[in-house]
Amino acid sequence: MKKKANLKPILYIGPHLLLFIVFICLPTVYGIYASFTKWNLIGEPQWVGLDNYKTLLFDRSSTFHFQFTNGLKNTLLYVVLMVPLLIVIPLLISVALENKKIRFKSVFQGILYIPGLVSISAAALIWSLMFHSKLGIANNLFGLNISWASQQPFAWFLVIIVSLWGGIGGNMIIYRAAIAGISPDLYESAEIDGASSFRKFLNITLPSIKFPLIYTLVMTTAGCFNVFAQPLMMTKGGPKQSTHVLMMYIRTLAFGHGESIAGMASAMAVLLGLIILVISGFQYYVMNKNTD
Amino acid sequence: MKKNGAISKWLAYIFLSVLCVIWIVPIIFGLMTSFRSQSEVVSSGFRLLPVDWIVDNYIAILENTSTAPILQWLVNSLFIAVSHTILVVMVVSLTAYGYSRLRFKYRDQLFFLLLGISMFPGVVNLIPSYKIIETFGWVNSPLAMIIPGLAGMGNIFLVRQFMKGIPKEFDESARVDGAGEFTIYSRIILPMIKPVLIVTGLFSFTGSWNDFLWPVIVYSDVEKMPITAGLLLLQDIYGNYRMIGQLMGSAFLAIIPTMLLFLFAQKYFVQSMNLNAGVKG
Repeated sequence: MKKKANLKPILYIGPHLLLFIVFICLPTVYGIYASFTKWNLIGEPQWVGLDNYKTLLFDRSSTFHFQFTNGLKNTLLYVVLMVPLLIVIPLLISVALENKKIRFKSVFQGILYIPGLVSISAAALIWSLMFHSKLGIANNLFGLNISWASQQPFAWFLVIIVSLWGGIGGNMIIYRAAIAGISPDLYESAEIDGASSFRKFLNITLPSIKFPLIYTLVMTTAGCFNVFAQPLMMTKGGPKQSTHVLMMYIRTLAFGHGESIAGMASAMAVLLGLIILVISGFQYYVMNKNTD
Repeated sequence: MKKNGAISKWLAYIFLSVLCVIWIVPIIFGLMTSFRSQSEVVSSGFRLLPVDWIVDNYIAILENTSTAPILQWLVNSLFIAVSHTILVVMVVSLTAYGYSRLRFKYRDQLFFLLLGISMFPGVVNLIPSYKIIETFGWVNSPLAMIIPGLAGMGNIFLVRQFMKGIPKEFDESARVDGAGEFTIYSRIILPMIKPVLIVTGLFSFTGSWNDFLWPVIVYSDVEKMPITAGLLLLQDIYGNYRMIGQLMGSAFLAIIPTMLLFLFAQKYFVQSMNLNAGVKG
Protein backbone atom coordinates (compact mmCIF):
# COMPACT_ATOMS: atom_id res chain seq x y z
CA MET A 1 0.00 0.00 0.00
CA LYS A 2 2.70 2.44 1.00
CA LYS A 3 4.89 1.53 -1.96
CA LYS A 4 2.00 2.20 -4.32
CA ALA A 5 1.54 5.66 -2.83
CA ASN A 6 5.20 6.47 -3.61
CA LEU A 7 5.02 5.34 -7.22
CA LYS A 8 1.85 7.20 -8.06
CA PRO A 9 3.30 10.73 -8.44
CA ILE A 10 5.84 9.41 -10.96
CA LEU A 11 2.99 8.42 -13.29
CA TYR A 12 1.64 11.96 -13.21
CA ILE A 13 4.71 14.18 -13.17
CA GLY A 14 7.18 11.70 -14.69
CA PRO A 15 6.47 12.22 -18.41
CA HIS A 16 6.82 15.98 -18.14
CA LEU A 17 9.89 15.71 -15.89
CA LEU A 18 11.59 13.61 -18.56
CA LEU A 19 10.68 16.11 -21.30
CA PHE A 20 11.85 18.96 -19.09
CA ILE A 21 15.24 17.38 -18.47
CA VAL A 22 15.81 16.51 -22.13
CA PHE A 23 14.50 19.70 -23.77
CA ILE A 24 15.13 22.41 -21.17
CA CYS A 25 17.72 21.38 -18.53
CA LEU A 26 20.16 19.64 -20.81
CA PRO A 27 20.18 22.30 -23.57
CA THR A 28 20.50 25.15 -21.05
CA VAL A 29 23.49 23.56 -19.34
CA TYR A 30 25.02 22.62 -22.69
CA GLY A 31 24.41 26.11 -24.06
CA ILE A 32 26.30 27.68 -21.18
CA TYR A 33 29.11 25.14 -21.61
CA ALA A 34 29.26 25.77 -25.39
CA SER A 35 29.75 29.48 -24.79
CA PHE A 36 33.20 28.67 -23.38
CA THR A 37 34.19 26.69 -26.47
CA LYS A 38 35.11 26.99 -30.11
CA TRP A 39 32.52 24.88 -31.88
CA ASN A 40 31.28 24.45 -35.45
CA LEU A 41 28.19 22.39 -34.52
CA ILE A 42 29.60 19.31 -36.28
CA GLY A 43 32.75 18.35 -34.37
CA GLU A 44 33.46 18.34 -30.65
CA PRO A 45 33.52 21.72 -28.88
CA GLN A 46 37.09 22.87 -27.98
CA TRP A 47 37.39 24.54 -24.58
CA VAL A 48 38.67 28.13 -24.94
CA GLY A 49 37.67 29.57 -21.57
CA LEU A 50 36.57 33.17 -21.61
CA ASP A 51 37.90 33.91 -25.13
CA ASN A 52 34.46 34.29 -26.74
CA TYR A 53 33.32 36.68 -24.06
CA LYS A 54 36.54 38.71 -24.29
CA THR A 55 36.11 39.02 -28.06
CA LEU A 56 32.45 39.99 -27.84
CA LEU A 57 32.90 42.53 -25.09
CA PHE A 58 36.34 44.07 -25.65
CA ASP A 59 37.92 43.25 -29.04
CA ARG A 60 37.09 46.35 -31.08
CA SER A 61 38.78 44.99 -34.20
CA SER A 62 36.55 41.91 -34.33
CA THR A 63 33.37 41.68 -36.44
CA PHE A 64 31.82 39.64 -33.62
CA HIS A 65 32.28 42.60 -31.29
CA PHE A 66 30.59 44.86 -33.85
CA GLN A 67 27.74 42.36 -34.31
CA PHE A 68 27.22 42.04 -30.58
CA THR A 69 27.24 45.76 -29.81
CA ASN A 70 25.23 46.70 -32.91
CA GLY A 71 22.72 43.89 -32.34
CA LEU A 72 22.38 44.74 -28.67
CA LYS A 73 21.96 48.45 -29.42
CA ASN A 74 19.19 47.72 -31.94
CA THR A 75 17.50 45.18 -29.66
CA LEU A 76 17.56 47.67 -26.77
CA LEU A 77 16.09 50.38 -28.99
CA TYR A 78 13.28 47.99 -29.95
CA VAL A 79 12.63 47.11 -26.30
CA VAL A 80 12.60 50.74 -25.18
CA LEU A 81 10.17 51.72 -27.94
CA MET A 82 7.90 48.65 -27.81
CA VAL A 83 7.44 47.83 -24.13
CA PRO A 84 5.69 51.09 -23.14
CA LEU A 85 3.46 50.88 -26.22
CA LEU A 86 2.58 47.23 -25.59
CA ILE A 87 1.66 47.99 -21.97
CA VAL A 88 -0.09 51.37 -22.34
CA ILE A 89 -2.18 50.86 -25.51
CA PRO A 90 -3.81 47.59 -24.35
CA LEU A 91 -4.46 49.20 -20.96
CA LEU A 92 -6.17 52.20 -22.62
CA ILE A 93 -8.26 49.84 -24.77
CA SER A 94 -9.33 47.79 -21.75
CA VAL A 95 -10.32 50.90 -19.82
CA ALA A 96 -12.21 52.27 -22.83
CA LEU A 97 -14.01 48.93 -23.24
CA GLU A 98 -14.90 48.97 -19.53
CA ASN A 99 -16.99 52.13 -20.06
CA LYS A 100 -20.56 50.95 -19.42
CA LYS A 101 -22.07 53.11 -22.14
CA ILE A 102 -19.91 51.68 -24.92
CA ARG A 103 -21.75 49.35 -27.30
CA PHE A 104 -20.41 46.76 -29.78
CA LYS A 105 -17.71 45.74 -27.29
CA SER A 106 -17.20 42.30 -28.77
CA VAL A 107 -16.81 43.81 -32.27
CA PHE A 108 -14.10 46.21 -31.08
CA GLN A 109 -12.41 43.50 -29.08
CA GLY A 110 -12.57 40.99 -31.92
CA ILE A 111 -11.05 43.39 -34.47
CA LEU A 112 -8.22 44.34 -32.12
CA TYR A 113 -7.52 40.74 -31.15
CA ILE A 114 -7.61 39.11 -34.60
CA PRO A 115 -4.14 40.31 -35.74
CA GLY A 116 -2.74 38.38 -32.76
CA LEU A 117 -3.87 35.21 -34.55
CA VAL A 118 -2.06 36.09 -37.77
CA SER A 119 1.35 34.51 -38.10
CA ILE A 120 4.13 37.05 -38.17
CA SER A 121 5.22 35.94 -41.61
CA ALA A 122 1.77 36.58 -43.08
CA ALA A 123 1.49 39.87 -41.18
CA ALA A 124 4.86 40.99 -42.52
CA LEU A 125 3.83 40.24 -46.12
CA ILE A 126 0.65 42.29 -45.77
CA TRP A 127 2.29 45.26 -44.03
CA SER A 128 5.20 45.27 -46.48
CA LEU A 129 2.65 45.72 -49.25
CA MET A 130 0.88 48.50 -47.33
CA PHE A 131 4.19 50.37 -47.20
CA HIS A 132 5.59 49.31 -50.57
CA SER A 133 7.25 52.35 -52.12
CA LYS A 134 5.29 52.17 -55.41
CA LEU A 135 2.21 50.02 -54.70
CA GLY A 136 1.45 50.64 -51.05
CA ILE A 137 -1.40 52.57 -49.49
CA ALA A 138 0.86 54.84 -47.46
CA ASN A 139 2.68 56.52 -50.34
CA ASN A 140 -0.28 56.57 -52.74
CA LEU A 141 -2.84 57.89 -50.30
CA PHE A 142 -0.69 60.70 -48.97
CA GLY A 143 1.29 61.42 -52.14
CA LEU A 144 4.59 60.50 -50.53
CA ASN A 145 7.68 59.00 -52.08
CA ILE A 146 9.37 57.16 -49.24
CA SER A 147 11.26 53.86 -49.48
CA TRP A 148 9.98 52.73 -46.11
CA ALA A 149 12.05 49.59 -45.70
CA SER A 150 15.39 51.05 -46.72
CA GLN A 151 15.37 54.49 -45.13
CA GLN A 152 15.60 55.46 -41.47
CA PRO A 153 13.66 56.21 -39.32
CA PHE A 154 10.97 54.65 -41.54
CA ALA A 155 12.48 51.17 -41.35
CA TRP A 156 12.05 51.24 -37.58
CA PHE A 157 8.50 52.50 -38.02
CA LEU A 158 7.70 49.43 -40.16
CA VAL A 159 9.15 47.01 -37.61
CA ILE A 160 7.20 48.70 -34.83
CA ILE A 161 3.83 48.97 -36.57
CA VAL A 162 3.81 45.28 -37.50
CA SER A 163 4.85 44.31 -33.96
CA LEU A 164 2.17 46.49 -32.41
CA TRP A 165 -0.49 45.25 -34.79
CA GLY A 166 0.00 41.65 -33.75
CA GLY A 167 1.11 42.32 -30.19
CA ILE A 168 -1.53 44.35 -28.38
CA GLY A 169 -4.28 41.70 -28.45
CA GLY A 170 -2.70 39.32 -25.96
CA ASN A 171 -2.09 41.91 -23.25
CA MET A 172 -5.53 43.40 -23.90
CA ILE A 173 -7.17 40.05 -23.12
CA ILE A 174 -5.20 39.74 -19.87
CA TYR A 175 -6.16 43.26 -18.71
CA ARG A 176 -9.79 42.77 -19.72
CA ALA A 177 -9.95 39.61 -17.63
CA ALA A 178 -8.29 41.30 -14.67
CA ILE A 179 -10.51 44.41 -14.79
CA ALA A 180 -13.63 42.24 -15.15
CA GLY A 181 -12.66 40.58 -11.87
CA ILE A 182 -12.68 43.86 -9.86
CA SER A 183 -15.68 44.12 -7.57
CA PRO A 184 -18.23 46.73 -8.84
CA ASP A 185 -18.83 47.80 -5.20
CA LEU A 186 -15.44 49.54 -5.19
CA TYR A 187 -16.42 51.75 -8.12
CA GLU A 188 -19.89 52.42 -6.75
CA SER A 189 -18.64 53.67 -3.41
CA ALA A 190 -16.05 55.81 -5.21
CA GLU A 191 -18.82 57.31 -7.33
CA ILE A 192 -20.81 58.19 -4.21
CA ASP A 193 -17.71 60.02 -2.98
CA GLY A 194 -17.72 61.94 -6.27
CA ALA A 195 -14.47 60.53 -7.67
CA SER A 196 -13.64 61.37 -11.30
CA SER A 197 -13.00 58.65 -13.90
CA PHE A 198 -9.31 59.41 -13.75
CA ARG A 199 -9.23 59.10 -9.94
CA LYS A 200 -11.10 55.80 -10.14
CA PHE A 201 -8.59 54.51 -12.65
CA LEU A 202 -5.65 55.62 -10.51
CA ASN A 203 -6.96 54.53 -7.11
CA ILE A 204 -9.02 51.44 -7.91
CA THR A 205 -8.25 49.95 -11.34
CA LEU A 206 -4.46 50.18 -11.30
CA PRO A 207 -3.87 48.77 -7.78
CA SER A 208 -6.38 45.96 -8.42
CA ILE A 209 -4.57 44.70 -11.51
CA LYS A 210 -1.09 44.92 -9.98
CA PHE A 211 -0.19 41.29 -10.57
CA PRO A 212 -1.30 41.13 -14.23
CA LEU A 213 0.61 44.38 -14.79
CA ILE A 214 3.84 42.97 -13.37
CA TYR A 215 3.28 39.73 -15.28
CA THR A 216 2.71 41.43 -18.65
CA LEU A 217 5.57 43.88 -18.09
CA VAL A 218 8.08 41.10 -17.35
CA MET A 219 6.81 38.81 -20.14
CA THR A 220 6.55 41.59 -22.73
CA THR A 221 10.06 42.85 -21.99
CA ALA A 222 11.55 39.35 -22.23
CA GLY A 223 9.59 38.76 -25.44
CA CYS A 224 10.82 42.01 -26.99
CA PHE A 225 14.46 41.08 -26.26
CA ASN A 226 13.88 37.97 -28.39
CA VAL A 227 12.61 39.98 -31.37
CA PHE A 228 13.61 38.35 -34.63
CA ALA A 229 10.89 37.76 -37.22
CA GLN A 230 9.65 41.34 -37.63
CA PRO A 231 12.96 42.96 -38.66
CA LEU A 232 13.96 39.87 -40.65
CA MET A 233 10.84 40.00 -42.79
CA MET A 234 10.21 43.75 -42.93
CA THR A 235 13.69 45.19 -43.42
CA LYS A 236 16.12 42.25 -43.60
CA GLY A 237 18.04 44.10 -40.89
CA GLY A 238 18.72 47.13 -43.06
CA PRO A 239 19.40 49.83 -43.94
CA LYS A 240 23.10 49.45 -43.11
CA GLN A 241 22.33 46.92 -40.34
CA SER A 242 20.42 49.56 -38.39
CA THR A 243 17.55 47.16 -37.66
CA HIS A 244 19.75 44.07 -37.38
CA VAL A 245 18.88 42.70 -33.93
CA LEU A 246 20.89 40.37 -31.71
CA MET A 247 18.75 37.27 -32.36
CA MET A 248 19.36 37.66 -36.12
CA TYR A 249 23.13 37.63 -35.54
CA ILE A 250 22.86 34.64 -33.19
CA ARG A 251 20.87 32.65 -35.72
CA THR A 252 23.18 33.52 -38.62
CA LEU A 253 26.34 32.67 -36.65
CA ALA A 254 24.93 29.31 -35.54
CA PHE A 255 22.90 28.18 -38.55
CA GLY A 256 23.69 30.59 -41.39
CA HIS A 257 25.50 29.80 -44.61
CA GLY A 258 29.14 28.82 -44.32
CA GLU A 259 30.74 27.30 -41.26
CA SER A 260 28.83 27.49 -38.02
CA ILE A 261 30.39 29.53 -35.21
CA ALA A 262 28.16 28.04 -32.55
CA GLY A 263 30.51 28.75 -29.62
CA MET A 264 30.50 32.48 -30.30
CA ALA A 265 26.74 32.41 -30.97
CA SER A 266 26.24 30.64 -27.61
CA ALA A 267 28.27 33.30 -25.81
CA MET A 268 26.08 35.97 -27.41
CA ALA A 269 23.00 34.02 -26.36
CA VAL A 270 24.24 33.68 -22.76
CA LEU A 271 24.96 37.42 -22.56
CA LEU A 272 21.51 38.20 -23.98
CA GLY A 273 19.99 35.68 -21.56
CA LEU A 274 21.76 37.28 -18.59
CA ILE A 275 20.53 40.72 -19.61
CA ILE A 276 16.95 39.44 -19.83
CA LEU A 277 17.23 37.72 -16.45
CA VAL A 278 18.67 40.78 -14.69
CA ILE A 279 16.08 43.13 -16.18
CA SER A 280 13.14 40.79 -15.45
CA GLY A 281 14.35 40.35 -11.88
CA PHE A 282 14.80 44.08 -11.45
CA GLN A 283 11.32 44.83 -12.85
CA TYR A 284 9.71 42.26 -10.63
CA TYR A 285 11.54 43.56 -7.55
CA VAL A 286 10.76 47.24 -8.17
CA MET A 287 7.10 46.69 -9.09
CA ASN A 288 6.53 44.43 -6.12
CA LYS A 289 8.16 46.82 -3.71
CA ASN A 290 6.59 50.06 -4.88
CA THR A 291 3.01 48.89 -5.03
CA ASP A 292 2.78 47.20 -1.63
CA MET B 1 -20.61 64.82 -13.50
CA LYS B 2 -22.99 63.74 -16.24
CA LYS B 3 -21.15 65.83 -18.82
CA ASN B 4 -17.89 64.23 -17.73
CA GLY B 5 -19.36 60.80 -18.46
CA ALA B 6 -20.50 61.80 -21.95
CA ILE B 7 -17.07 63.17 -22.84
CA SER B 8 -15.29 60.04 -21.70
CA LYS B 9 -17.80 57.93 -23.62
CA TRP B 10 -17.10 59.81 -26.87
CA LEU B 11 -13.36 59.79 -26.25
CA ALA B 12 -13.55 56.04 -25.83
CA TYR B 13 -15.56 55.66 -29.04
CA ILE B 14 -13.15 57.80 -31.06
CA PHE B 15 -10.07 56.04 -29.68
CA LEU B 16 -11.49 52.57 -30.30
CA SER B 17 -12.83 53.40 -33.77
CA VAL B 18 -9.61 54.96 -35.04
CA LEU B 19 -7.59 52.04 -33.72
CA CYS B 20 -10.00 49.48 -35.22
CA VAL B 21 -9.85 51.15 -38.65
CA ILE B 22 -6.04 51.07 -38.61
CA TRP B 23 -6.16 47.46 -37.42
CA ILE B 24 -8.62 46.19 -40.03
CA VAL B 25 -7.44 48.09 -43.14
CA PRO B 26 -4.35 45.91 -43.78
CA ILE B 27 -6.46 42.77 -43.66
CA ILE B 28 -9.06 44.12 -46.08
CA PHE B 29 -6.45 45.68 -48.37
CA GLY B 30 -4.41 42.47 -48.47
CA LEU B 31 -7.48 40.32 -49.06
CA MET B 32 -8.75 42.57 -51.87
CA THR B 33 -5.33 42.57 -53.49
CA SER B 34 -5.44 38.79 -53.67
CA PHE B 35 -8.43 39.13 -56.05
CA ARG B 36 -6.70 41.61 -58.38
CA SER B 37 -4.61 40.91 -61.44
CA GLN B 38 -1.00 42.00 -61.33
CA SER B 39 -1.57 44.62 -64.06
CA GLU B 40 -4.42 46.13 -62.09
CA VAL B 41 -2.36 46.33 -58.90
CA VAL B 42 0.47 48.08 -60.72
CA SER B 43 -1.59 50.47 -62.83
CA SER B 44 -4.64 51.48 -60.82
CA GLY B 45 -2.97 53.07 -57.83
CA PHE B 46 -4.88 52.94 -54.59
CA ARG B 47 -8.40 51.57 -54.75
CA LEU B 48 -10.08 49.44 -52.09
CA LEU B 49 -12.21 47.10 -54.21
CA PRO B 50 -10.88 45.24 -57.28
CA VAL B 51 -12.14 46.38 -60.69
CA ASP B 52 -12.38 42.81 -61.97
CA TRP B 53 -12.64 40.16 -59.31
CA ILE B 54 -10.39 37.27 -60.30
CA VAL B 55 -9.46 34.01 -58.62
CA ASP B 56 -6.48 33.35 -60.91
CA ASN B 57 -4.06 34.12 -58.06
CA TYR B 58 -5.48 31.35 -55.91
CA ILE B 59 -5.46 28.92 -58.84
CA ALA B 60 -1.82 29.81 -59.52
CA ILE B 61 -0.89 29.35 -55.86
CA LEU B 62 -2.50 25.93 -55.65
CA GLU B 63 -1.00 24.79 -58.96
CA ASN B 64 2.55 25.77 -58.07
CA THR B 65 3.37 22.56 -56.22
CA SER B 66 7.01 22.40 -57.25
CA THR B 67 8.58 25.49 -55.67
CA ALA B 68 5.78 26.47 -53.27
CA PRO B 69 3.59 23.52 -52.23
CA ILE B 70 1.31 25.64 -50.11
CA LEU B 71 -1.38 22.98 -49.61
CA GLN B 72 1.30 20.62 -48.32
CA TRP B 73 2.56 23.36 -45.97
CA LEU B 74 -0.93 23.93 -44.65
CA VAL B 75 -1.42 20.20 -44.07
CA ASN B 76 1.96 20.05 -42.29
CA SER B 77 1.04 22.99 -40.07
CA LEU B 78 -2.36 21.55 -39.30
CA PHE B 79 -0.91 18.16 -38.36
CA ILE B 80 1.73 19.80 -36.17
CA ALA B 81 -0.64 22.22 -34.44
CA VAL B 82 -3.37 19.62 -33.77
CA SER B 83 -1.03 16.95 -32.40
CA HIS B 84 0.89 19.48 -30.34
CA THR B 85 -2.31 20.89 -28.85
CA ILE B 86 -3.74 17.48 -27.92
CA LEU B 87 -0.47 16.47 -26.25
CA VAL B 88 -0.17 19.80 -24.42
CA VAL B 89 -3.63 19.42 -22.91
CA MET B 90 -2.83 15.85 -21.81
CA VAL B 91 0.63 16.55 -20.39
CA VAL B 92 -0.34 19.83 -18.75
CA SER B 93 -3.44 18.49 -17.00
CA LEU B 94 -1.69 15.33 -15.83
CA THR B 95 1.37 17.21 -14.55
CA ALA B 96 -0.62 19.99 -12.92
CA TYR B 97 -2.70 17.32 -11.17
CA GLY B 98 0.48 15.75 -9.85
CA TYR B 99 1.83 19.05 -8.52
CA SER B 100 -1.41 20.28 -7.01
CA ARG B 101 -3.41 17.33 -5.70
CA LEU B 102 -1.03 14.46 -5.02
CA ARG B 103 1.06 14.44 -1.87
CA PHE B 104 4.73 13.55 -2.05
CA LYS B 105 7.96 14.65 -0.48
CA TYR B 106 9.57 17.86 -1.83
CA ARG B 107 6.62 18.33 -4.18
CA ASP B 108 6.51 22.14 -4.06
CA GLN B 109 10.31 22.43 -3.88
CA LEU B 110 10.61 20.39 -7.07
CA PHE B 111 7.93 22.45 -8.79
CA PHE B 112 9.58 25.77 -7.99
CA LEU B 113 13.01 24.41 -8.92
CA LEU B 114 11.71 23.54 -12.38
CA LEU B 115 9.97 26.90 -12.64
CA GLY B 116 13.21 28.68 -11.72
CA ILE B 117 15.26 26.76 -14.28
CA SER B 118 12.69 27.42 -16.99
CA MET B 119 12.96 31.17 -16.31
CA PHE B 120 16.39 31.10 -17.93
CA PRO B 121 15.80 32.64 -21.35
CA GLY B 122 15.25 30.27 -24.25
CA VAL B 123 17.94 31.80 -26.45
CA VAL B 124 20.60 29.97 -24.48
CA ASN B 125 19.24 26.51 -25.23
CA LEU B 126 18.42 27.22 -28.88
CA ILE B 127 21.61 25.80 -30.38
CA PRO B 128 21.84 22.70 -28.11
CA SER B 129 18.14 22.06 -28.71
CA TYR B 130 18.90 21.87 -32.41
CA LYS B 131 21.74 19.45 -31.60
CA ILE B 132 19.36 17.24 -29.60
CA ILE B 133 16.79 17.29 -32.40
CA GLU B 134 19.55 16.28 -34.78
CA THR B 135 20.65 13.42 -32.50
CA PHE B 136 17.08 12.13 -32.39
CA GLY B 137 16.90 12.36 -36.21
CA TRP B 138 14.07 14.89 -36.01
CA VAL B 139 15.50 17.50 -38.40
CA ASN B 140 12.85 18.12 -41.08
CA SER B 141 10.40 16.05 -39.04
CA PRO B 142 7.12 17.26 -37.50
CA LEU B 143 8.30 15.77 -34.19
CA ALA B 144 10.74 18.69 -33.87
CA MET B 145 7.77 21.03 -33.68
CA ILE B 146 5.46 18.81 -31.65
CA ILE B 147 7.55 17.43 -28.79
CA PRO B 148 10.05 19.98 -27.35
CA GLY B 149 7.34 22.57 -26.70
CA LEU B 150 5.66 20.14 -24.28
CA ALA B 151 8.44 20.69 -21.74
CA GLY B 152 7.42 24.29 -20.95
CA MET B 153 6.26 25.33 -17.49
CA GLY B 154 3.95 28.29 -18.23
CA ASN B 155 0.75 26.33 -18.87
CA ILE B 156 1.43 23.95 -16.01
CA PHE B 157 1.82 26.91 -13.66
CA LEU B 158 -1.52 28.33 -14.85
CA VAL B 159 -3.49 25.08 -14.68
CA ARG B 160 -1.96 24.11 -11.31
CA GLN B 161 -3.18 27.46 -10.00
CA PHE B 162 -6.76 26.60 -11.01
CA MET B 163 -6.59 23.06 -9.63
CA LYS B 164 -5.45 24.41 -6.27
CA GLY B 165 -8.66 26.44 -6.16
CA ILE B 166 -10.85 23.31 -6.23
CA PRO B 167 -11.81 22.28 -2.68
CA LYS B 168 -10.17 19.10 -1.34
CA GLU B 169 -13.59 17.75 -0.31
CA PHE B 170 -14.30 16.71 -3.89
CA ASP B 171 -11.40 14.23 -4.01
CA GLU B 172 -11.87 13.09 -0.44
CA SER B 173 -15.50 12.14 -0.82
CA ALA B 174 -14.72 10.37 -4.11
CA ARG B 175 -11.90 8.49 -2.37
CA VAL B 176 -14.30 7.43 0.39
CA ASP B 177 -16.59 6.09 -2.35
CA GLY B 178 -13.66 3.97 -3.54
CA ALA B 179 -12.63 5.95 -6.62
CA GLY B 180 -9.05 5.47 -7.83
CA GLU B 181 -6.67 8.35 -8.42
CA PHE B 182 -7.08 8.29 -12.20
CA THR B 183 -10.87 8.33 -11.89
CA ILE B 184 -10.67 11.41 -9.67
CA TYR B 185 -8.39 13.08 -12.21
CA SER B 186 -10.42 12.24 -15.28
CA ARG B 187 -13.99 12.30 -13.93
CA ILE B 188 -13.89 15.05 -11.31
CA ILE B 189 -11.01 17.45 -11.84
CA LEU B 190 -10.81 17.52 -15.65
CA PRO B 191 -14.44 18.55 -16.22
CA MET B 192 -14.07 21.33 -13.64
CA ILE B 193 -11.08 22.92 -15.36
CA LYS B 194 -12.44 22.56 -18.89
CA PRO B 195 -12.52 26.33 -19.65
CA VAL B 196 -8.89 26.88 -18.69
CA LEU B 197 -7.85 23.79 -20.65
CA ILE B 198 -9.66 25.06 -23.73
CA VAL B 199 -7.93 28.42 -23.50
CA THR B 200 -4.59 26.66 -22.95
CA GLY B 201 -5.32 24.56 -26.02
CA LEU B 202 -6.22 27.61 -28.12
CA PHE B 203 -3.02 29.40 -27.18
CA SER B 204 -1.02 26.24 -27.90
CA PHE B 205 -2.64 25.87 -31.30
CA THR B 206 -2.06 29.46 -32.41
CA GLY B 207 1.41 29.49 -30.83
CA SER B 208 2.39 26.35 -32.70
CA TRP B 209 0.74 27.48 -35.96
CA ASN B 210 2.52 30.85 -35.86
CA ASP B 211 5.92 29.78 -34.51
CA PHE B 212 8.60 31.26 -36.72
CA LEU B 213 12.16 31.13 -35.35
CA TRP B 214 12.28 27.40 -34.60
CA PRO B 215 10.84 26.11 -37.92
CA VAL B 216 13.18 28.41 -39.84
CA ILE B 217 16.06 26.66 -38.06
CA VAL B 218 14.77 23.09 -38.13
CA TYR B 219 13.41 22.79 -41.68
CA SER B 220 15.40 22.89 -44.90
CA ASP B 221 13.26 20.41 -46.83
CA VAL B 222 10.60 22.47 -48.65
CA GLU B 223 8.05 19.62 -48.70
CA LYS B 224 8.14 19.16 -44.90
CA MET B 225 7.92 22.81 -43.85
CA PRO B 226 5.07 24.37 -41.93
CA ILE B 227 3.38 27.38 -43.49
CA THR B 228 5.26 30.07 -41.51
CA ALA B 229 8.62 28.93 -42.83
CA GLY B 230 7.08 28.53 -46.28
CA LEU B 231 5.92 32.14 -46.40
CA LEU B 232 9.50 33.29 -45.81
CA LEU B 233 10.48 31.32 -48.92
CA LEU B 234 7.61 32.82 -50.91
CA GLN B 235 8.98 36.29 -50.28
CA ASP B 236 11.97 35.23 -52.37
CA ILE B 237 10.07 33.09 -54.89
CA TYR B 238 7.49 35.79 -55.72
CA GLY B 239 10.37 38.20 -55.21
CA ASN B 240 9.97 41.86 -54.45
CA TYR B 241 6.25 41.92 -55.09
CA ARG B 242 6.35 40.90 -58.72
CA MET B 243 3.41 38.58 -58.02
CA ILE B 244 1.58 40.50 -55.34
CA GLY B 245 -1.76 38.77 -55.79
CA GLN B 246 -0.20 35.36 -55.20
CA LEU B 247 1.73 36.62 -52.21
CA MET B 248 -1.39 38.07 -50.58
CA GLY B 249 -3.45 34.99 -51.42
CA SER B 250 -0.84 32.79 -49.74
CA ALA B 251 -0.82 35.00 -46.66
CA PHE B 252 -4.59 34.65 -46.42
CA LEU B 253 -4.59 30.89 -46.82
CA ALA B 254 -2.19 30.88 -43.86
CA ILE B 255 -4.52 32.99 -41.74
CA ILE B 256 -7.80 31.18 -42.38
CA PRO B 257 -7.37 28.24 -39.94
CA THR B 258 -6.60 30.34 -36.85
CA MET B 259 -9.33 32.78 -37.86
CA LEU B 260 -11.91 29.96 -38.07
CA LEU B 261 -10.75 28.58 -34.75
CA PHE B 262 -11.16 32.00 -33.15
CA LEU B 263 -14.70 32.45 -34.49
CA PHE B 264 -15.57 28.94 -33.37
CA ALA B 265 -14.11 29.38 -29.89
CA GLN B 266 -14.96 33.01 -29.26
CA LYS B 267 -17.44 32.15 -26.51
CA TYR B 268 -14.68 30.39 -24.57
CA PHE B 269 -12.56 33.53 -24.80
CA VAL B 270 -15.40 35.43 -23.19
CA GLN B 271 -15.80 32.69 -20.59
CA SER B 272 -12.09 32.69 -19.87
CA MET B 273 -12.45 36.22 -18.57
CA ASN B 274 -14.44 34.84 -15.70
CA LEU B 275 -12.25 31.82 -15.10
CA ASN B 276 -11.49 32.93 -11.56
CA ALA B 277 -15.13 33.34 -10.70
CA GLY B 278 -15.94 30.00 -12.35
CA VAL B 279 -13.54 27.97 -10.25
CA LYS B 280 -14.08 29.69 -6.93
CA GLY B 281 -17.89 29.74 -7.18
